[in-house]
Amino acid sequence: MAEPELLLDSNIRLWVVLPIVFITFLVGVIRHYVSILLQSDKKLTLEQVSDSQVLIRSRILRENGKYIPKQSFLMRKFYFNNQEDGFFKKTKRKVVPPSPMTDPSMLTDMMKGNVTNVLPMILIGGWINWTFSGFVTTKVPFPLTLRFKPMLQQGIELLSLDASWVSSASWYFLNVFGLRSMYSLILGQDNGADQSRIMQEQMSGAAMAMPADTNKAFKAEWEALELTDHQWALESVEEELMSKELDLDGMFSSELPTGIF
Amino acid sequence: MASVSELYDVTWEEMRDKLRKWREENYRNSEQIVDVGEELINEHASKLGDDIWIIYEQVMIAALDCSRDDLAWSCLQELKRQFPGSHRVKRLAGMRLEALERYEDATKLYDSILQDDPTNTAARKRRIAILKAQGKSAEAIRELNEYLEQFVGDQEAWHELSELYINEHDYGKAAFCLEELMMTNPHNHLYCEQYAEVKYTQGGMENLELSRRYFAQALKLNNRNMRALFGLCMSASHIAASPKVSAKVKKDNMKYAAWATAQINRAYQLAGRGTKESKCSVKAVEEMLESMQITMS
Repeated sequence: MAEPELLLDSNIRLWVVLPIVFITFLVGVIRHYVSILLQSDKKLTLEQVSDSQVLIRSRILRENGKYIPKQSFLMRKFYFNNQEDGFFKKTKRKVVPPSPMTDPSMLTDMMKGNVTNVLPMILIGGWINWTFSGFVTTKVPFPLTLRFKPMLQQGIELLSLDASWVSSASWYFLNVFGLRSMYSLILGQDNGADQSRIMQEQMSGAAMAMPADTNKAFKAEWEALELTDHQWALESVEEELMSKELDLDGMFSSELPTGIF
Repeated sequence: MASVSELYDVTWEEMRDKLRKWREENYRNSEQIVDVGEELINEHASKLGDDIWIIYEQVMIAALDCSRDDLAWSCLQELKRQFPGSHRVKRLAGMRLEALERYEDATKLYDSILQDDPTNTAARKRRIAILKAQGKSAEAIRELNEYLEQFVGDQEAWHELSELYINEHDYGKAAFCLEELMMTNPHNHLYCEQYAEVKYTQGGMENLELSRRYFAQALKLNNRNMRALFGLCMSASHIAASPKVSAKVKKDNMKYAAWATAQINRAYQLAGRGTKESKCSVKAVEEMLESMQITMS
C-alpha cells in the first residue's frame, strides 16, 4: 500500500520545528547553570576518605604484591586478614543507610534534582503540546507500526495516517535526547543539562551508594586477599636482564638545555 | 636589567605556556619562575584572564623560595582579595609565615584550617613540614605516621617518611615505605633502585641478595640507570667475596659482577667517544673494577 507523500506547509518548518529546537536547547543551557547554582557541596567525612584509601591499598596489594619480597607481602596480608585483629576483621563501621526520608541532605538533593530536570521537561512538553497541536510536524525516516500512533500523534485524530508522521510533542522529546551531544560540545563533558545521563544514574543509583556498603566492601576485600598468593616477579630477573646487552642508545647524545627557553 | 622576554625574545603566550609546563611537571626552579612570572604579572596581567590566579600561587611559592617577601606579599594580597575565606589561600599565608620562621603563628593557622575541614591534607602536611624545618625529626616522623594511618594512599607522604627514616638510619622502616611506593608504581625504576640501596646498606646476606635482585629490576625497567648498574656490580661482588657462601652462589655472583663490569666499561667507552679526556676516565674505571676483582678472589 503506497502511501501518498504528504507535503507539509513550509511555514511549519519555520515556525514549529526550528523554535522547538531553540527552546529545547536554551532550556537545557539554563538548566545547566541553575544546577550549578543550586549545587551543594558534598562533604566527606575523614572516615570515608580514609576507608576508601584503605580499600585502594588493599587492592593494590593484591594486584602488585608480586613486586615486593615475599616476606613483606605476607606481613601486609597478615595485617589485613589476621583472624583476631586484622584490619578487615576488626573494623566495623557504623552503617547508617542514607534513606531519603531520614537524611535531610539527601532529601533536598533529590528535590533539587527533580525540580531542575523533570519539572521543566513536563511543563515545556505540555506547553508545546498545547501550543503546537492539531497538525503534523515532521516524519521520522524509518517506518513505525500502528502501535506508536497514540504516543507520537498526540493531537491528530486521523486513523489512516502513517505512524511515521509525528506531532510536535514527539519532536520535542526527540530534541531532548538528541541535543545531548551538542551540550557536551558547548558546556563541556559533565554538564547539568544532560538528562539521559541523570536518568541512567537514577536507575543505577543503588550501585553507587558507597558509604552504606563499607562493611560489605571490607568483607569482599578480605575474601579476595585471602585468595591471593605471592608470585614473585623477580625470581629470575638477573637471567632475564643478562640475556642481552644493555641498550645504551642515546644516553650521551643530547645536549644539556641552557637557559629558560 | 633586561626583561625575560627581551633576553630570550619570547612572547607572553610562550612565557605563560612555559609556566604551565613547569607547574604540571612539578619543577622547582624557583628563580626562573620568579623571573618569568613577575614579568607576566606586571606587564601582561589583563591578557591572562583567569589563568592569573594559579600563576599568582605558583609565583608566590617560588618567591618564598627566593626570599622575595615583597613579591610573595603582593601575590598573597591579590589572592586574598579574590578568594576570601579560601583554605587554599590560607595555606599559602601559612607558608609565608613559615618562610619568615614564625612557626607558632603558622601552626595556629593550619590548626584553624583543620578545625574547619578535618580532611584537608595540605594543612596537615605543612604542619609536618614545620616540624621537619625545626629539626624535630622524631616528632615529624610520629605525626607523619599518624597522617599516613588516615591517608594510606598519599605517595608523596610515603616517600617523605622513607627519607626521614633514612636520615635516622632506621633502614628497616624506610624499606617498608619504599615497598609501598614500589607497589603503587611498579614501573618506576627509581623506587626499585632506592629500595635496593637501602637493602644494601642494611647488610646481611639476605638483604644483599634482595638488593642485587632489585638493582637488576631497576636496570630491566631502565637500561640506562648507571647507578643501578654500579649497584648490581657492587652487590654481586660483595656476595661473591663473602666467605660463607656456597660455591654455586659464588660462581653465579661472579658471573653477574663480570657482566655488570663489562656493561660499565661499554658505557664509559660510549660516553667518551668524542672527547680527549675520555681516555683517562675509562682508564680510571677499569682500574677501579680491577681492584674490586682482586679483593673478590
